[in-house]
Amino acid sequence: MKKQWYRLDNAALIFPAIIRKNWNNVFRVSATLTEKVDPGILNQAIADLKPRFPTCFVRLRTGFFWYYLETIAKAPEVQQDYAYPLTHMTRRELKTCCVRFLYFENRIAVEVFHSVTDGTGGLVLLQNLAARYLALRYGEGIPAEGHIKDISEEPKAEETRDCFLSCGAVRSLSRAEDTAYHLTGTPETGHFRHIVTGILPTDALKEKAHEQGVTVTAYLAAVMAEAVAKKQENEGMTGRKARPVKITIPVNLRKTFGMDTMRNFTLAVNIGFDPALGVYTHEQICALMGHLLAAETIPQRMAARVAKNVDLQKMLILRLIPLAIKRIAMRTVYALSGESKGCLNISNMGVVKLPAEMDRHVDRFDFVIGVQYTYPNNCSVVTYGGKTYISMIRGIRETELERLFFSRLVELGIPVEIESNN
Amino acid sequence: MYCVYCGVKLQDGTGECPLCHTPVAIPPRPGTAEKPMYSDRLPEEESHHGRTLAVWLVTAVMIAVCLGCLVFCLRTYQEVSWSGYVLMAAALVWVLLLFPLLFRRFRPMIFLPLDFACVAGFLLYICEKTGDHWFLSFAFPVTVIACVLTLLTVALFRYIRQGRLRLLGLLLILIGASFMLIEFFQHITFGTPMFVWSLYCVCGFGALGLFLFIATLIPPLHAHLRKTFFF
Repeated sequence: MKKQWYRLDNAALIFPAIIRKNWNNVFRVSATLTEKVDPGILNQAIADLKPRFPTCFVRLRTGFFWYYLETIAKAPEVQQDYAYPLTHMTRRELKTCCVRFLYFENRIAVEVFHSVTDGTGGLVLLQNLAARYLALRYGEGIPAEGHIKDISEEPKAEETRDCFLSCGAVRSLSRAEDTAYHLTGTPETGHFRHIVTGILPTDALKEKAHEQGVTVTAYLAAVMAEAVAKKQENEGMTGRKARPVKITIPVNLRKTFGMDTMRNFTLAVNIGFDPALGVYTHEQICALMGHLLAAETIPQRMAARVAKNVDLQKMLILRLIPLAIKRIAMRTVYALSGESKGCLNISNMGVVKLPAEMDRHVDRFDFVIGVQYTYPNNCSVVTYGGKTYISMIRGIRETELERLFFSRLVELGIPVEIESNN
Repeated sequence: MYCVYCGVKLQDGTGECPLCHTPVAIPPRPGTAEKPMYSDRLPEEESHHGRTLAVWLVTAVMIAVCLGCLVFCLRTYQEVSWSGYVLMAAALVWVLLLFPLLFRRFRPMIFLPLDFACVAGFLLYICEKTGDHWFLSFAFPVTVIACVLTLLTVALFRYIRQGRLRLLGLLLILIGASFMLIEFFQHITFGTPMFVWSLYCVCGFGALGLFLFIATLIPPLHAHLRKTFFF
């Protein structure tokens, strides 16, 4: 089969340039089935999926001016899961395949380098993998509905193209923002990542969010912002010393612009408040986060933000600079401003819906994003089967932020069940 | 089973709350041991055999080129003339660029003094070969100054966590002052006028260093600098 290559999409350009020896931008989605996973059948399912999702079975290559993705000849083999999620994906591994397929007991996991796709793309891949696995394992006829694709079809052109290039506004929006409070802690030895997962009844969470008149994402961002502000206060940074508390929310642009792609198509917005301006009540924070999120994510503003990024990518002078120099410039820009505008991410995948034929074989879904290079904490959310799974990852020893966040949810009347990989 | 402190529900068999580390008062019942969330497979250490092989391949090529030059020189001039520079330069390049690649971690406090020692050795060879006398009075002290300043800079950014800005200010003042010392060695070796160009360096580095030092004494200015140059 002839090798195909893809330019990196607009959001993906930065990730290969900022890879460090012990860090890169990887996320993980996993599905826990009701029975033990058979690795042999899973391997077959992966191989069957390869022609339908060509942009996911790729490796990272280096060109003279840009990095690019190249399809791989053979689908990767499934591996046993590691002792902790999101183990470091080395450069050598990325040159072989940018996606890892893992299994442990009842769980199938997919770990994806962010240049390949975003969380939604990863989830689509996982759902289709689970569907194919169940079809092979139990002979289930799973209908192609929702995220489940007909794997005998050719991939649609829209799925493989960079949608950022076709949704930018005429005028771009400045990215200038205040620097936010920076979470810190004692770095964990090696590459170990702690994961604490809070399991919440979705109805209770929705009810609390709707009491405040905001979405679940805005509500969780508000509670997280409260926890971060409390942590800052505990560190003695109060009054004039206090820095803005901002939460970074990746927004799925597929819904905003009505496009369906398997490449990256999200844009992050930072929402928050400045504790130096005074004391905020829970209701005020919720209202503020709700309004800010709604205002920032209207299509016009998102298109203007996209335009800013695309304009840079399209600048002839930048395009003509060799990659080695571009890489230094991108690393410098990222180090100076890439992670200084927010305290941590909350990436909400939303509700996972499966066909009834699959539902009875699947227990739960998990979604975990890796820590950023300088943010020691990150948070990701997914909802399935009436439960919301909030995974908080950290690369530091201190559990203060998780404790403040989950105990605040309990205080607000939402029961929380905790799991941890410690 | 709930944590009495956080109020969250814990998994059966958990010994302590993962959030606040409060021990669970009720011991787990038999048969309710916590199920492991993950396997016990650890990631493999990244192999650096490929890198080591590449280093030795380049070394072999360098040795071949050096030997070629040496043989050519000996046959043509019956002495080690210009090929001596090639040999010494190749040795310097090997120590500076290839030798650190043989190790898993770059340890600047070990490699940098070694690098500067090799640079000094190379300069000594040139000095001896050309029959000049500038090594002990100029090249050696300048190399030592450069080595000390480089080590201080590396130590500041790599090992020191507290009071970096104040120390950076002091370091910049020290760098400025060291230019005067270098010009002094230049004066006693080559007879050039004292303190001409170094004064500009002292003024530039001194002013910047003093500004950073003073900035650490004024908290709002310090906070503004931290906010602006955060990375």
